[in-house]
Amino acid sequence: MSTIVKISNLDKYFGRLHVLKNVSLEVAEREVVCLIGRSGSGKSTLLRCINFLEEPSHGSIEVDGLHVNSGEKGRAHRQLVHDVRLKTGMVFQEFNLFPHMSVLENVIEGPVTVKGMDRQQAIELAEHNLDSVGLLFKKDEYPNRLSGGQKQRVAIARALTMEPRVMLFDEPTSALDPELIGEVLNVMKKVAKDGMTMLVVTHEMGFAREVADRVIVMADGELIEDGKPEQIFNEPKDPRTEALIVRYRTGSG
Amino acid sequence: MSAFGTENKGEVKSQGDLLFEAQQRQKQRFNRNVGASWGIFFLIIVYFFSGQNFLGIKTIELNTEFIINNMGFIAKGLPQTLLVSVLAITLAMILALLAALGRLSTFPPLYALSTFYVSLIRGTPLYLQIFFFFLALPQLGIVLTGLLAGVLALGLNYGAYMSEIFRAGLASVGKGQIEAAAALGMTPWQTMRRVVLPQALRFAIPPVGNEFIAMTKDSALVSATGFVQEIMWRATRVGRAQFNNLEALIMAAVFYWVMTLILTYVQSIIEARLSKGDR
Repeated sequence: MSTIVKISNLDKYFGRLHVLKNVSLEVAEREVVCLIGRSGSGKSTLLRCINFLEEPSHGSIEVDGLHVNSGEKGRAHRQLVHDVRLKTGMVFQEFNLFPHMSVLENVIEGPVTVKGMDRQQAIELAEHNLDSVGLLFKKDEYPNRLSGGQKQRVAIARALTMEPRVMLFDEPTSALDPELIGEVLNVMKKVAKDGMTMLVVTHEMGFAREVADRVIVMADGELIEDGKPEQIFNEPKDPRTEALIVRYRTGSG
Repeated sequence: MSAFGTENKGEVKSQGDLLFEAQQRQKQRFNRNVGASWGIFFLIIVYFFSGQNFLGIKTIELNTEFIINNMGFIAKGLPQTLLVSVLAITLAMILALLAALGRLSTFPPLYALSTFYVSLIRGTPLYLQIFFFFLALPQLGIVLTGLLAGVLALGLNYGAYMSEIFRAGLASVGKGQIEAAAALGMTPWQTMRRVVLPQALRFAIPPVGNEFIAMTKDSALVSATGFVQEIMWRATRVGRAQFNNLEALIMAAVFYWVMTLILTYVQSIIEARLSKGDR
């Protein structure tokens, strides 16, 4: 299987704070990778470096064959970053739907404005994706009329409608009421099943265990463990992984 | 939809509901009393100008004949007042938006231009600005009509003050919105046009409405050029000519006041619609 995302020797500083320390990581096509770790371990920052919402300090990112070195400037670099963003779909913790647009308008916005897709064609694609997240009947509603879980499902449809090569999920269920988490996780499972390559930053250990092909544990800006879910959850090697898993098993945090 | 249906509370009103209803009743009573008091004040003022004897004191008598004869003349200023205000608020909105964007710029000359404009305009009187356009520019060979000078001065002046409104509007659009747009691959310009501006403008509509209402009254200053036949110009003209300034100015005041009341009402409808709308 070919590699879709390749992160090489990535460093990220926020001022003097070293949040990512020489991180390297490869994600293969159709692979579902969950990134777990305590708050502040750098997992969200790593995810946000992939589509350059954070500019890495050192190192390089490769997405579907597009190689981008950090620290470069200028037109060519901006164009590369733009092209990488077209290949990555992102789902945020806070949904970030556009409140002034209806559900359907939210979903077609990217294809029409960014890709210049024909509006009718975009609507067909959007309706197909809204249907697959179970929200076609809400297409004319505005986001403020949706529950948190519905907002997040629309956000997933919005990202999918850009037809990305990889989907990045940044704690997609952390802002949700507990009873709404399940519907979002179900949609994510479905996306995984349809063969999408996924990188998921999450605190949902159950999801990681059930859906992930690989689980990566981060602590203090480093990848401390990388393996199959059974291995990570049943025989963790690093004491920090063990502490993390125990903490979730006992249901705190 | 949800598996968790709301519990059926039956007919029993909760403590909270009762408290809410009591507060509503209190509020209604207060509003009613305020309305009645307004009516009484209004009647007192009307009485003061009725020319009747009151406990041996003669109240002020207005020249009703003058009022009737000149009401139409002053009323004809209304379209002029509105024309000046509409043109000027349009100009002001454009300038305010540009100034607000300038304030967000990381390019020093643009930032400086924006702050320079706001500082200069806010640091000088509106009256002076109107005369500057009308009286001072001709010395440089630029002769503007009274209307154009008035519109430029009012627009420039209000634009400087309104830049704060647009700045707040732009600031009200969260970082998450900009990131979501970027993640979709939007360029900064597309993000501004499709995501930030529509939300910022919606935020700005109610305060811009307030500025417009204020402007309809400040437009009276344009009468100073002597060439824009709006309400104030007409009132002073007929008032001076026949030495009935009292009646003329009272009429103008009534026109401005009624206009303000109507605009405020329209404004409240728009605001209500926006707040329950699709935000």
